[in-house]
Amino acid sequence: MTETHQAWLAQMESESRAKQEQFMNGIAGRLGHPRLTTAPPHPFRGAPDFWQTFGWSSDERVQQFTDNFEAAGGHVHRLSDMQEVQSFICSKAIELSARYMIHQNEIELNHLQLKEKLEDVVVSQWNSESDEDWIARAAEADIGIVMADYAVSHTGSIVVVSSKDKGRSVSLLPTALIAIIPLERLKTRLGEVLIDFDEAGREQLPAGIHFISGPSRSADIENDLTIGVHGPGVVFVLIVG
Amino acid sequence: MSKTDMKGTTVKGRAELALNDDFLRKAVKFTTERLRDGKRKASDDLGNWEEWRERGRQIRLHTIAHLDYYLNQFANQARLNGVHVHFADTAEDAVKITLAIAERKQALSVVKSKSMVTEELHLNQALESIGVDVVESDLGEYIIQLAGETPSHIIIPAIHKNRYQIADLLSKEAGETLPPDTAILAGFVRKKLREKFLEADIGMTGCNFAIAETGSMVLFENEGNARMVSTVPSTQITLMGMERIIPSWSDLEVMATLLPRSATGQKLTVYMSGITGPRRQEDGDGPDEMHIIILDNGRSLQLGDPEFQELLNCIRCGACLNACPVYRHIGGHAYGGTYSGPIGAVLTPALNKNIDQWDDIASASTLCGACYEACPVKIPLHDMLIYLRRRKVERGLGDKMESIGMRGFAAIMSNSKRYENALKVGKLAQRLVVKDGEITSKLGPLKGWNNYRVAPSLAKQSFRDQWGTMEEEIRHGLQEIDPLVSNRMEEIVRNREAGGKGHD
Ligand code: SF4
Repeated sequence: MTETHQAWLAQMESESRAKQEQFMNGIAGRLGHPRLTTAPPHPFRGAPDFWQTFGWSSDERVQQFTDNFEAAGGHVHRLSDMQEVQSFICSKAIELSARYMIHQNEIELNHLQLKEKLEDVVVSQWNSESDEDWIARAAEADIGIVMADYAVSHTGSIVVVSSKDKGRSVSLLPTALIAIIPLERLKTRLGEVLIDFDEAGREQLPAGIHFISGPSRSADIENDLTIGVHGPGVVFVLIVG
Repeated sequence: MSKTDMKGTTVKGRAELALNDDFLRKAVKFTTERLRDGKRKASDDLGNWEEWRERGRQIRLHTIAHLDYYLNQFANQARLNGVHVHFADTAEDAVKITLAIAERKQALSVVKSKSMVTEELHLNQALESIGVDVVESDLGEYIIQLAGETPSHIIIPAIHKNRYQIADLLSKEAGETLPPDTAILAGFVRKKLREKFLEADIGMTGCNFAIAETGSMVLFENEGNARMVSTVPSTQITLMGMERIIPSWSDLEVMATLLPRSATGQKLTVYMSGITGPRRQEDGDGPDEMHIIILDNGRSLQLGDPEFQELLNCIRCGACLNACPVYRHIGGHAYGGTYSGPIGAVLTPALNKNIDQWDDIASASTLCGACYEACPVKIPLHDMLIYLRRRKVERGLGDKMESIGMRGFAAIMSNSKRYENALKVGKLAQRLVVKDGEITSKLGPLKGWNNYRVAPSLAKQSFRDQWGTMEEEIRHGLQEIDPLVSNRMEEIVRNREAGGKGHD
C-alpha cells in the first residue's frame, strides 16, 4: 500500500511538472511576454513607506495591545515575572475548575512546575513522550498554555509557531488558552514580525505560523456574536516584564 | 496501530471529555461579559486608507503582471516543502484530481473549511458521488449544508436564516429540541463538529494567499475551523485559484491590513495562519500528506485583456457586496453563480468564458460606483459592467432580456417601488417551478441556476406572508412584464396553492 501510494504520488508529480510548464507558458503567452525566469523588480514590496518607520514606545505598545485584544473579547494582564504567571495560572485553574491542562514543552513553561502546584489537575507537556496521542491530549484539555513567539500591538495579535516541542493543537483545541508574552517580543506592526519569515527563508520556516487575535468567534447566527465555536472560547494574555 | 485508528476511537472519547459543560460554561461567560461591556472598543488608528489601498492595488497588479514567474516559484517552493502540487485547467480536472486523492487515501470523510473555489467546482456533490461524507465546518456553511442550500453571502453564508430556523435544523441533527439561543446552538455545533474533525480522513481548505518566495499558504478566519482542518486530519487538500499569489510575507502585511477591515471591519481576523508544507518529521501534529491544487478554470482568459485583467486582483473580501444597493435588496441567491454581488456579476461570465451567460440580475446593477469605492484593491467593477454590456451588445446579444435589464436598470433604481416589484416577480416566477422546495427546471430569469445543482428556493415565507400585497402590486405595479404573462403566472400559483402540493 505504502509503496504503491508512493509510486502513485511520483506518477502524479511527473504529470504535474509537465502540466506546470504548459500552465506557465500559457500564462506568459497571454501576458504577451516570454517566460520570466528571473525575479522581476518589485518596487511595491510590503507596506507603504510611511508605515515602515512607524513605531510605538513600550508603554504604548502595551496599551494598544491591551485595547485591541480586549475589544476582540480577550483578557490581558500585565505581570512582572514568571512567579506571578505561576500564581495567575494556578488561581485561574482553580477558579474555573480545570481538570486537564496542556502546555508547550518550553523551558519557561516547564519551570512553572504546574504539575506539582496543581495536584488535582492532569498537566501534560506537548510531545514529551513518543507513544502518546498528543492531539487527543490537547483535545481533552480545559486549558492550553503557550509562550507567544511574537505579539503585534497594532492588531492585538499573538503569534505562535510550531516545532517539535510546540504543537499547533495546544493553542487551538483546549477550551481556554493562556498565552504569555515576554515584553520584548511585543512589536508595533505586523510587518516587524513578517519580515523575519522573509529573512529566514523557506527552509527555516516551521509548518505552522499562527496569528491569534482573540477568542474563536462566529457571527453566523443572525449576525449575533458567538464565542468558541471551534477554537478556545476564552483567551488570557499575560504580558510579562 | 495507525494514527488514524487511534483517532477514531480514543480521541473521540476524549473530545467528549474536553467539552465538559461545567468548564465551558464558566469559561465562555468570561468572554461574553467582556464583549457585552466591551464599550472600550479600540479606535481604528489606521490613517491613510487610500495609501494602503493604492499599495494593495500595486502589489496585486505587479503579481498578476508577472504571474508566470511568481506562480512557478510558488509551485517549486511548495514542492521543496514537501507539498504535492497539482495543476488543473478546468473545474473537471480539479475534481478529478481531488477524487483520485480521496480514493487513494480510501477516505470515508472529508471536513472542509470555507472555500469559494470548492463551491465553484461543486466538489461536495462529486465527493458524495463516490461515497465520501463531506462536512462543512464553518458554522454558517454547516447550517446551510444541513438545510441543503447554497451560501447567500461570501462572508456570512447563512445570513438568510434566522435563529428559529437554525434551531429547528440543529434540533433535527441533535435528536432533541434545542432552544433558539445562539450560544447553545453554537455549543452544539462545537461538539458535533469536534467529532467530525477527529474522525475525518481528509481536511480540505481554500487559500486566501499563497506566498511565492517560500511556498506557504495563508488562511484568514474567525472560528478556528480552517486551523482544525489543516491540523487534525492526516491528509490536507488545498484548492486555490491560480491568482491567489503574493510575492512575500512582507506583502502579506498589506493584504492582512486590507482584507479583514474590508470583509468584517476587524483589524485582523481571529486567526491568520501561514502553513508551509506538511508536518515536519518530528512534529506532534499537522498533516502527514499535503496537496495543493492550483486551478485555472477560466481565470487565465482575463490575462492580457486590458478591460478585465484586474478581476484577478480580487481578494474576495465581499466589501463590494455590502456596498452594492442592488445586492442589499436581493441578497446573494439571486445571482446565478458561486460568486455574488458586483464581483460575481463580472466574474461569473468571465470564468464561464462566456459573456452570454451574463446573469440577468446583474443587469440591475446601478453603475453607481459604490463597489469601486469599497474595493480595497480598487478594481473598477463599474467600468467592467459597462464593458460587459458593450461586448454583449456588439455580439448581437442585446436581446429582449437585455432591453428589460438594460433599459430597466436606470429606471428601476430611480423607482425603488418598481424595483422591489421586479424582485417579487422573480420570486413568483420561481414559485412556478418549485417542487418540494427545490427548483428543478429552467425558466427565464432563473436560467443558469440549475446547471450543476439543485438551487434553493428564495425565501418562501416572505412570499406567503406578503401574498396579499404582492397580488396588488403585480396587478398594478408591474409595467415591465406583459400583463398576460403575469396573469398566467399568478393563476397557476393560485391554483396550486388551492389544490395542495404541486404534482407536476
Ligand atoms: S472586487 Fe474588490 S471589493 Fe469585491 S470582493 Fe473583490 S476585492 Fe473585495
